Amino acid sequence: MESNKKYWKGLEELQNTKDFVEKSKNEFAESLPMEEVLNEAGLSTVAPRRDFLKALGFGLGAVTLAACQKVPVHKSIPYLVKPEEVILGIPNYYTSTFNGHSVLVKTREGRPIKIEGNPNCILSQGSLDAKGQASVLDLYDVSKLKGPVLNDADADWTKVDKFIQDELLKAKNAGKKIRIVSSTVNSPSTKAVIADFAAKYPNTKHIQVDAVSYTGIIKANENSFGKAVLPRYRFDKANLIVSFGADFLGTWISPLEFSRQYVSKRNNASLEGKKMSRHIQFETGMSITGSNADARLPLKPSEEGIALLNLYAALGGVVNGSKPLANNPNAEKAIALAAKELSAAKGASLVLSGSNDVSIQILVNAINALLGNYGTTIDLDNPSYQYAGNDAEFVEFVNEMNRGEVDAVFFLNSNPAYEFNDSKSFTDALSKVKLRVSFADRKDETASLCQVIAPNHHYLESWGDSNPVEGYYTIVQPTINPVYNSRNAEQGLLIWSENAVTDYYQYIQNNWSKTVLAQSGTTWKDLLQKGSVTLPVKSSGVYSFSRDLNSVVQTIIANSKNLAKGGEKAIELHIYQNVAIGDGKTANNPWLQELPDPVSKVTWDNYAAINPKFAEKLGIAELDLVEIKTDKYTVILPVLLQPGQASGTVSIALGYGRAKAGKAGSDIGKNAYPFLSLVNATLQTAVSANISKASGTYELAQTQTHHTIEGRNIVRETTLKNFLKDPTAGTGHAHVNKYDLWNEFEQPGHNWVMAIDLNACTGCGACIVACNAENNIPVVGRDEVRRRREMHWIRIDRYYTINDGENKLTKEDEISKLENLDNVSVIHQPMMCQHCDHAPCETVCPVLATVHSSEGLNQMAYNRCIGTRYCANNCPYKVRRFNWFNYWNDSRFDNYMNNEFTQLVLNPDVTTRSRGVMEKCSMCVQRIQAGKLAAKLDKRKLKDGDIKVACQQTCPTNAIIFGDGNDPESEVSKALKSERTYYVLEEINVKPGVGYQTKVRNTVEV
Amino acid sequence: MRSISLFFRSVTKSLILVTLLSSAAVSSASAQDAAAGAAIFKQKCTACHGLEKAVVGPALKGIDTKYDEAWLIKWIKNAPAFIASGDPIAIKASEYSPAMMSAFPELSDDDIKNIIAYVKVGDPKPVVDPNAAQAGAGGAGANDGISNFMLFGLLAVIIIAFLVVLVLNKVIQTLERVMLQKKGIEVEEEEVIAKDRLAGLKKLSKNKKFIMFVVLLCVIFLGSAGWKGMWETGVHTGYQPVQPIKFSHQLHAGINKIDCQYCHSGAYSSKNASIPSLNVCMNCHNYVNASEKYDGKTSPEIMKIYNALDYNEDTKVYGKNTKPVEWIRIHNLPDLAYFNHSQHVSVAGIECQKCHGPIQTMEEVYQYAPLTMKWCINCHRETEVNHKDNPYYDKLIAAHDKLKKGEKVTAAVLGGLECSKCHY
Repeated sequence: MESNKKYWKGLEELQNTKDFVEKSKNEFAESLPMEEVLNEAGLSTVAPRRDFLKALGFGLGAVTLAACQKVPVHKSIPYLVKPEEVILGIPNYYTSTFNGHSVLVKTREGRPIKIEGNPNCILSQGSLDAKGQASVLDLYDVSKLKGPVLNDADADWTKVDKFIQDELLKAKNAGKKIRIVSSTVNSPSTKAVIADFAAKYPNTKHIQVDAVSYTGIIKANENSFGKAVLPRYRFDKANLIVSFGADFLGTWISPLEFSRQYVSKRNNASLEGKKMSRHIQFETGMSITGSNADARLPLKPSEEGIALLNLYAALGGVVNGSKPLANNPNAEKAIALAAKELSAAKGASLVLSGSNDVSIQILVNAINALLGNYGTTIDLDNPSYQYAGNDAEFVEFVNEMNRGEVDAVFFLNSNPAYEFNDSKSFTDALSKVKLRVSFADRKDETASLCQVIAPNHHYLESWGDSNPVEGYYTIVQPTINPVYNSRNAEQGLLIWSENAVTDYYQYIQNNWSKTVLAQSGTTWKDLLQKGSVTLPVKSSGVYSFSRDLNSVVQTIIANSKNLAKGGEKAIELHIYQNVAIGDGKTANNPWLQELPDPVSKVTWDNYAAINPKFAEKLGIAELDLVEIKTDKYTVILPVLLQPGQASGTVSIALGYGRAKAGKAGSDIGKNAYPFLSLVNATLQTAVSANISKASGTYELAQTQTHHTIEGRNIVRETTLKNFLKDPTAGTGHAHVNKYDLWNEFEQPGHNWVMAIDLNACTGCGACIVACNAENNIPVVGRDEVRRRREMHWIRIDRYYTINDGENKLTKEDEISKLENLDNVSVIHQPMMCQHCDHAPCETVCPVLATVHSSEGLNQMAYNRCIGTRYCANNCPYKVRRFNWFNYWNDSRFDNYMNNEFTQLVLNPDVTTRSRGVMEKCSMCVQRIQAGKLAAKLDKRKLKDGDIKVACQQTCPTNAIIFGDGNDPESEVSKALKSERTYYVLEEINVKPGVGYQTKVRNTVEV
Repeated sequence: MRSISLFFRSVTKSLILVTLLSSAAVSSASAQDAAAGAAIFKQKCTACHGLEKAVVGPALKGIDTKYDEAWLIKWIKNAPAFIASGDPIAIKASEYSPAMMSAFPELSDDDIKNIIAYVKVGDPKPVVDPNAAQAGAGGAGANDGISNFMLFGLLAVIIIAFLVVLVLNKVIQTLERVMLQKKGIEVEEEEVIAKDRLAGLKKLSKNKKFIMFVVLLCVIFLGSAGWKGMWETGVHTGYQPVQPIKFSHQLHAGINKIDCQYCHSGAYSSKNASIPSLNVCMNCHNYVNASEKYDGKTSPEIMKIYNALDYNEDTKVYGKNTKPVEWIRIHNLPDLAYFNHSQHVSVAGIECQKCHGPIQTMEEVYQYAPLTMKWCINCHRETEVNHKDNPYYDKLIAAHDKLKKGEKVTAAVLGGLECSKCHY
């Protein structure tokens, strides 16, 4: 029944705009100046012909001369004394920690080139998100400082140390305050260093502040249960998840961990057990979490609190002041439905809110307590330490500075001049502080206001540790000597406080042997090998809620009223983080800048997301610039028409508009932090604002309708109900034409194939960045993305479809249903070379540069390719990428590979492609070859799982399975045997090597 | 005046002669034989024989005069059988050493004739080219591609010079005539002589068959030279740059019989064979310093190791003022080709010598194999997969047996010619 459902990637495709039709027909994004060249002026004048001949002659001569050069001499310089563990050509792996997740760092000849998840990590279980994958590139960032800076001049460490110590002594003797400002620190050793520092300078206080704060939840838990902690959520125990704006698959608290847990209830294994969790999302902007939900309802920020009140009331909670959502009957209905379902799933459900408002979070606590979720899906006794920032403390710190009480301040991994909502008051206050020290690795917004910049190591250069959740400790170990003259921030603090141990490595070892190593009986060596220590889990207690909710309800209603200010141009502004850039600390990472947003598919910019219908009402069209104005801040941004966006709202991503991020990240997009507002001592992400059209337009670099496949239905979905009736439901096996242009041939050895579970893929984009790192994929930049020239070998297609109860929008009936663009559902589909056994690209290559291997791979020989691009034209999946430039040797692409230092991140086992050749997914053939060779050298059979391709390895939800299709016992063979399996464009009989499994939605008809 | 023009004329004549002669020399076939023989000799014989020096077997210089060709062919093809057949000369020859001469049934008669031709001629004397030597020291290696290029360039220059001389000749003649005419002196006589002299050429130039022949000759000559030049572009067989340390593989691997793996340990486990780090050298050279040859002083070459490591011989202490040794890489594969030593050495069990030549006899290492794709592929076509006792191959071999019973299982059969085996 779904076979005639209409899927579309962008509004222009849905509406089939003139521009879109034209563009999809054209080979190039921009028109070529052919006409100009061929018009009369071009051909009839004398000079061009002469010039042409001159150029031709000169070119011939130049090429001849250039070709006459001597063969370059290559030098081979061996080690003087080779470290024992290094064998040239063989990677070494070291455990380390990124963002609290234990990782494995792949190094080649002493330089880290790839980060992979550590299978021992209890949070990630061997997977890694896009940011973790991209973090290796930050090591080779040319925008970093090369050494310490004192009063805007390069200095050496002894001078810096002396200066700081003198100033600290002065502050101490004057009895003035010393402040260490940092984002959340969950490293036990850093905490101990700061405690030692505070012991030496008693006026010291450590202030933790996060760019995006979770203070609301922590305060609410303190209020409700007397525990000021961030609980650990257990999505793997939740059969029903109702989330109000919590983007837990994208950015909320611990998305990598949550994704894995969430999908464990929805993947193939779960479906084979006839079970699937249900997820209802109420949210303002379309987030990656909302796009994965079984039911998603647009909700304005002002309605969120009211909706929660109604839910609480519907569940039987006693509350005064709940009133129906007058303007949102759909949400109202959904709340009633959710309440019914929640009562049926007591103890195995989860209600979440992404709000940072203490009142709302107290209400959420009340609801969860009512449902008996504490002790099952919410664990307060083994809390998470991933965020511990306190907004109020930071505000108080600004006041202290203003009053002139602070004489010394240190900024550790914190950039308030950019991240604080009132950066002007912060900057003014900071100027009153005598000693200002930043540990930033670059001259960022805050560091440039400091006298001293003492650059911290990149995590791959330093020792460290982390304690992201209760009972789980991980170690950071260096994998390369510091590239620049940087130093551990902790080491600085140890030196300045004249600690007995000034070597931070020694300090960590001492600290661990006293605490975790002693408790767990692990040795230091074991720790380094395993990467982490897990202490026994405490039993998770049951908590009941017994507070009076009256004041909470009053606050919620008051806040809601404040947000929903009437007025013609009034909107509710929703400030969020996107998956790639997050809070903006990684803004200078070109891999992340070029990673398309999972939902909007925009790269290199932020934008104002508006509901299409609402925009029409306001007279705003796509690409228009709009002015968003609050009483404190105004910004002009391009418009993105976002289906599913709540009407009357605008969403803007944080993390952009950095003034001093570096070469790639400065002046990209606009800063949205100043929109945050401080309400009841926490920073709120929703605010009331006005919108008006500004002059001009701006083209976003959006990949959504690039590589279009002409409206063919390539995604398949079904509902859980139908799936349970018939597991093949929705696969829509098309009639396959048996006529075949190609001969059959044997694949006697291996047959490399892949299975992708659309029900497990959340669309997070980790695979894209992993592929970038593994396969040396160039970053092309905003302008080139606009010209449809992005180089990603794997893309994630995002399809919208309109929900309209039972009457799903069909092709025949599309225009009449365009009205309802609020209510769309989304499917993410990873798409890469399908390694067709009967590949159309191979047939049309005039030089046999792309041919098939006996192992089922569609091979691409770059040095043979002459760049006709016939193959790309003939590829039904549009997965081939053409090198328009020498991206690694062209000053126009200065932000990534065109730099000797950054080039060190390249994988030496993969060729960098030259201008004029085609490239595409090779199924990580270098990994296949290496895996086979390892088996041959060990004289053993190749085991399933020996070879993992980069996208599969990093996938947080195991949506991608790769292996040998000739081995009936392999995971991939089993996965492909699943009844849900279908092949994309099966009807054209190209026999793809990648099978997909239908998306199953656990929908319940209202 | 006249003497100059006469001189030019004689020069042009001799130039024509030289050109014709040299083209004849290029097309002659006898040199080819010795070259082919040399290749076979290096591959098959050098393990036991030298030309001038006895190794395991006797030195082979003059062998062609000692024995007749037919006897040599039989002997080389299968010496043990020949001795067993009771040939008196063979029995006498076998008494040279207790080691038995190996049989080489794979060599054809022509191959053996080529070897004999090579033994007769011996190694060509290396042409001492000071420029090339300097370039080598500076790093750039003299290589065939460039010298060929220069050769053709030289020929072109000669041809152009020849044409210029002809033109100048004509000009001089005319000028002379004009001068003489002005003076009113017997022009006619000169004219007649000139006419006579050119009459033969003029006649020839009207002979279409002759012209056709000349044109054809030029086309063939330039064509084949161009063809040869193109094939050899980028092929650096014989590349032998001067290395910073005069390290002798002949001494280390040949005479001292140090296993290749001792220094090139990576070859067995990794993609790179790797040049040994200096600490490996020091395993021996902290006491082996060849002082017996240098009046009790450390050999200057070994001294280079000490200097690089800043090692003090007397105190046996390593200093800090180190500077790595910059070897010049001889075997260069293009970046687009992936080659893994361990696959070939450990898995396939191929001898190092197969690609690197008689390395144990090389005083200075040169590139032995052409390292062209054709060369790789030919070997993949011919070499059988070493699948014995390697369970990795079990399934592949079983599947293969089912498909093509009896055929040789070469690397090519198991996909060894597919692009992605080496290019990714």
